[in-house]
Amino acid sequence: MRKLFSSRTIVLLMVGFLVVVGLIAGSNWWSKKTNNPPFFQRVVNDLTGGVAKVISIPTNAVGTRANSLANLLNTFSENKALKAKVDGYAQNKVKLQTVEDENKSLKKQLDLKNSLTDYQTISAVTISRSPTTWNSQLVIDKGAKSGLKKGMTVLGDSGIIGLVTEVNTVNSKVTLISDTSEDTNRIAITVKGGSGDTNGIVTDYDADKQMLVMSSVSNSANVNPGDTVVTSGLGGLVPSGLLVGKISEVTSDSYGLSKKIYIEPASDLSKISTVLVAKSSLES
Amino acid sequence: MAGWQFIRLQIIFPLILLILFLVDGNLASSLGLLMQAPIHAIPMLTFTWLFYAVQFGIQKEIPYYTYVVIFGVLFDIFYTGILGTYTLAFLLATIVMDRLRPYFDERMMSGLLLLLIGQIVYLLVTFVAGQLIGSANLSMLSFVVYLVLPTMLFNLVTAAIFYFPSWSLFQRLS
Repeated sequence: MRKLFSSRTIVLLMVGFLVVVGLIAGSNWWSKKTNNPPFFQRVVNDLTGGVAKVISIPTNAVGTRANSLANLLNTFSENKALKAKVDGYAQNKVKLQTVEDENKSLKKQLDLKNSLTDYQTISAVTISRSPTTWNSQLVIDKGAKSGLKKGMTVLGDSGIIGLVTEVNTVNSKVTLISDTSEDTNRIAITVKGGSGDTNGIVTDYDADKQMLVMSSVSNSANVNPGDTVVTSGLGGLVPSGLLVGKISEVTSDSYGLSKKIYIEPASDLSKISTVLVAKSSLES
Repeated sequence: MAGWQFIRLQIIFPLILLILFLVDGNLASSLGLLMQAPIHAIPMLTFTWLFYAVQFGIQKEIPYYTYVVIFGVLFDIFYTGILGTYTLAFLLATIVMDRLRPYFDERMMSGLLLLLIGQIVYLLVTFVAGQLIGSANLSMLSFVVYLVLPTMLFNLVTAAIFYFPSWSLFQRLS
């Protein structure tokens, strides 16, 4: 019978396997440790990103057209529902403006320059999304040149969608909150419950349920399904008050000692064409 | 004439490979239905192009495995930032397809079966690598139902659609 592999190939394969395993583990460790990728990776990323941007122009245009066409079909009923909502928003907007002004003047009196809720946004366009099994990452068209830094928060249509995890000169990578790796989505959050707030962090993403998990919550904490979850701003780079999602399920952990909360993300992660990167004003 | 044609293939094959490599990422971001939760289908056009080369016997005329490694590394750098996973996945899957090719006949369906085997190898490597660095915490069942099946469906259909166009393109070039 014909041999599938020669002995030389087998040796090469084995050596190659060891090298690859070393590379995977090593570069994973390195990318977590450093703020900027190695020079070689950076150059390759910047060059490829440039070409990718050109390629993305026609496909994005087609995608946008197709989407608007699909949206056209349910415009009538949507319009009706939205009109009803808009009236409420107008009132809220005026209120927000008044409260914001009041907040500003009070801060001035207190000699408080910037607080956790203050942030500027940098808008960016999605060039590409990793067609990969695990790492849900986006490549966006702004990088170190536009002032992006590793760890900044990225916002989608209606809330937080991820964190900046790699910054190149003219583009960067955003790891989505749906990424299942160990420590990419540890965001400090607050549950805005009916009676007081509960602080904690996102501890996991449950890929089977498609929900964020906040575990080790005290049993006495008053959290209910439907409660809004926002970022707490504790820990620095993430501004406070950004919408994360809504609680969909409250369970107790396997020992019954604490609560485990499942949070449904507010943003649709399936299609992200533009994003806002939030730059906390506190960070100088 | 033969020399010119050889060069033509040398240029056009990697050029299309590069375009498909970028289109992959672009499709993933712009084609919402691929990533509609809980489904997570991955466009694998780059891989399909590499399969065509094996299926139509082009891989002997070009530095095939050099391209596989170059694009594997590029894939790792540009899409994940973690080196090694996709280089290994591309390399292993193409080697398997290349080795198994003699046992398959010329029909399109046999070709697609070969591609299917390649895809399984590719996804399995990424699954194992994900386990290694702790980014895979999806159960095997969900992995198969929500990721492997939709991915295969999408890519087999695409491969079937572009099968004969690519065949005639390779005929013209080589």
